[in-house]
Amino acid sequence: MNDQTQQLEAITQKEYKAGFFTDIESDSLPPGLSEDVVRQISLIKGEPEFMLEWRLKAYRHWLTMETPEWAHVHYPEIDYQAVSYYSAPKKKTDGPKSLDEVDPELLRTYEKLGVPLDERARLAGVAVDAVFDSVSVSNTFKDKLAEQGILFMPISEAIQEHPELIKKYLGSVVPQKDNYYAALNSAVFTDGSFVYIPKGVRCPMELSTYFRINAANTGQFERTLIIADDDSYVSYLEGCTAPMRDENQLHAAVVELVAMDRAEIKYSTVQNWYPGDENGKGGIYNFVTKRAACRGESSKVSWTQVETGSAITWKYPSVVLQGDNSIGEFYSVAVTNNMQQADTGTKMIHLGKNTSSTIISKGISAGRSSNAYRGLVRIGPNAENARNYTECDSLLMGDKCAAHTFPYIEVKNPTAQVEHEASTSKISEDQLFYCKQRGLDVEDSVSMIVNGFCKQVIRELPMEFAVEAQNLLGLSLEGSVG
Amino acid sequence: MKVLTDIHTDFAAVANSRDVMVADNAHWKTLRQQAKEQFERNGLPGRKEEDWKYTSLWSLGQEQFVHQVSQPGYADIHELKLVEDAYRLVIVDGRVDLTASYLDGLPEGLTVTPFSQSIDRASEFLNQQVNLEKPGFNAMNTMLMNEGIFIEVAANTKVDKPIELIVVNSGHTAHYAMHLRNVIVLGKDSQATFIETYAGNNQANGLTDVITEISLADKAELFHYKLQRESLDHYHVATMAASQAADSQWHNTNISLGGKLARNDVHSQLLGEQSHVTMNGLYLVTGEQHIDNHTRIDHAVPNTTSEEVYKGVLDEQSHAVFNGKVIVHKDAQKTDANQSNRNLLLSRGCEIDTKPEMEIYADDVKCGHGSAVGQINEDQLFFLRARGLDEVSARSLLTFAFAVDVIERISNEELKQSITGVIEKRLPRGGA
Repeated sequence: MNDQTQQLEAITQKEYKAGFFTDIESDSLPPGLSEDVVRQISLIKGEPEFMLEWRLKAYRHWLTMETPEWAHVHYPEIDYQAVSYYSAPKKKTDGPKSLDEVDPELLRTYEKLGVPLDERARLAGVAVDAVFDSVSVSNTFKDKLAEQGILFMPISEAIQEHPELIKKYLGSVVPQKDNYYAALNSAVFTDGSFVYIPKGVRCPMELSTYFRINAANTGQFERTLIIADDDSYVSYLEGCTAPMRDENQLHAAVVELVAMDRAEIKYSTVQNWYPGDENGKGGIYNFVTKRAACRGESSKVSWTQVETGSAITWKYPSVVLQGDNSIGEFYSVAVTNNMQQADTGTKMIHLGKNTSSTIISKGISAGRSSNAYRGLVRIGPNAENARNYTECDSLLMGDKCAAHTFPYIEVKNPTAQVEHEASTSKISEDQLFYCKQRGLDVEDSVSMIVNGFCKQVIRELPMEFAVEAQNLLGLSLEGSVG
Repeated sequence: MKVLTDIHTDFAAVANSRDVMVADNAHWKTLRQQAKEQFERNGLPGRKEEDWKYTSLWSLGQEQFVHQVSQPGYADIHELKLVEDAYRLVIVDGRVDLTASYLDGLPEGLTVTPFSQSIDRASEFLNQQVNLEKPGFNAMNTMLMNEGIFIEVAANTKVDKPIELIVVNSGHTAHYAMHLRNVIVLGKDSQATFIETYAGNNQANGLTDVITEISLADKAELFHYKLQRESLDHYHVATMAASQAADSQWHNTNISLGGKLARNDVHSQLLGEQSHVTMNGLYLVTGEQHIDNHTRIDHAVPNTTSEEVYKGVLDEQSHAVFNGKVIVHKDAQKTDANQSNRNLLLSRGCEIDTKPEMEIYADDVKCGHGSAVGQINEDQLFFLRARGLDEVSARSLLTFAFAVDVIERISNEELKQSITGVIEKRLPRGGA
């Protein structure tokens, strides 16, 4: 190890900056999972009968499934009976109607994280449906959105108020039996966001939810459903940080997007959950199922993600291109440091004619981490003139980390054009020398080079997120050059 | 279930009947016993096995293969040999055909014999490059193989002529299954060219199961060409595996034209610094053929390089699979690895599944891979048509140009010519 490496390593050892724990009385179910727990969650949420049936169906199927082992990640077996499946901040009788009524402790937490909930929210034009552990605490801009007929609410509310939409769309993209974690989520999800954009409406602002895992031992099972009806547009932001905990916390979210004729959905994520300490102790297990259906013709879904957190990330935001001329995009930056493990990528399933997809994936591994891209591009026999372009680049920092690429390409139509390219490299001595010679210190040089490496993805993010993402990249990688 | 259980041929019983042959060699005997146990346990892989995800062995399992021939059939070696002047071993229906072979006047330092004639020496190298546990045919081959070629080149020897192995399944005995093992050992600073051809008459509908194990000492260089042109009703499963010491070079070209179901596993372990492997491949599939190529390169030490180009042309209802794995092990710094897989789809109904994989555990490396699936370029087609070529010829010419790229990389001029000839005849729509 040379001087530079040591210097860099010293900087990398900085503590997780969002690591603090808010002490609010939580209203939790005892740990354990059974049909009764599923029934109780449904009861607490005041759900109609069909929802309970739906959950039970998922739960019963989950019992018959096996934990998937194909991902390139290693972790001790999860004891699902040790997890508490419901936790809500203590409820006041009527619930908060405005910010004044919100628990000030909560607000301070958001403050520390820089969540623009109050005045800043309005200035930034962001409507926040903040999920604190499992119950949505505050909705802003709801009225303004309601004027245009846009529904933006916690999914538990939507289940009560718009059961017809829930019946029609929930589980239509990610069925209850889709995979192990999706089945678990379907059985026990407590909250999440619901968005419906009516025909011809362009959502006037970026919708945003900040997730935050707080109470210890609480699995977070979010469920998000976004429906963009004909000729509509919506941009949705999702960002997360979690307080420092020693126990591994399970997160198994499901996100479903439905884009009808000529509709467009842009879904951006910045994920910065607690990654565990430098020895791999603690950290979030992030097992997420995200899938979009481009159901209508000329519809478009674009996933952009910046993944810097979590001990283990297991996530493949996918697009099923059913409608003719539909478009799927996936832009991703995944950063792993210390003992983090990421197995992430996307699936583009081309079914309609003239469908196209673009995949840009940038993986950065440092420390003793492992970072894998796993992707699938499938061109069905009827997908005439389908087009895919995939680029995945890996940047390695240090000789103990690992980077992998597993791109699956399946083509059943002779008019398809599919291209895949991947490269692996490290930050070269030359690049560093060049920067340092011009007066930059190592840390800034690395940050600059990394930001250059990720530029293709970062520029897809909405403005507010792009800034946060760039800071995050710098933060996550400080001092990892070897 | 990860295992294919429905296997109609009683391979284990055949193995028992073949045990007489190995009685004298303790090492071989032990290996065979282990292989039998392994095969009893795991049989053949099912499609849940990641390496067999796209290739189903179900139909192979349904076959009743025959392991006895009353009399070998006939093979026209003049048609099949790819170079005139070579040391040649011919195996027809599992038996060495001495009249067609030419093993006279071997230079000093070169040993070329049928496997069955060098059992003791060849057995020393058995199963060094293949792993019985690996899902596939290693266990079956180890318990059943009874012939093949053994080549040993002494240190500092440059072999003056290519060594050619021609294996023919004559189709004389229906459903005949051959299990062969080739062992190639190159001493320090030696050099050789090895050409293997697998052919069969049109009616052949059996199985060729072959493993070629290669060991390259320091500075050894092997030019290795494999041409598989068996009948379209035949099964072909093959492994080529090499371990490479420092400064050694393995130039492997793997051409697959025949077979109803053909599977190749090509594996190089770069164990010494400055060693290099080239893997070139071409597969032309048509009808209902299924051809699967799995390659794997292990960069185990620093300063090794690899270069891989696989190309495929798919026509009619055919199905091709490519899986290329490059693994850069911990501390294998300064690895330079390049891999590409390109596929040309000519018709509705064909399917390609490709997966170029990289697993990298060292940081100071240069690794890249690419894969592409596409069709004949309309602009190029227009260019040729504007110059008076009819559509069929223009398409053939472009297809040939796509495929010939792999052939161009063959350094032996005579071989390049003869393989080009074979490819031209075999190309969809008759070649250019």
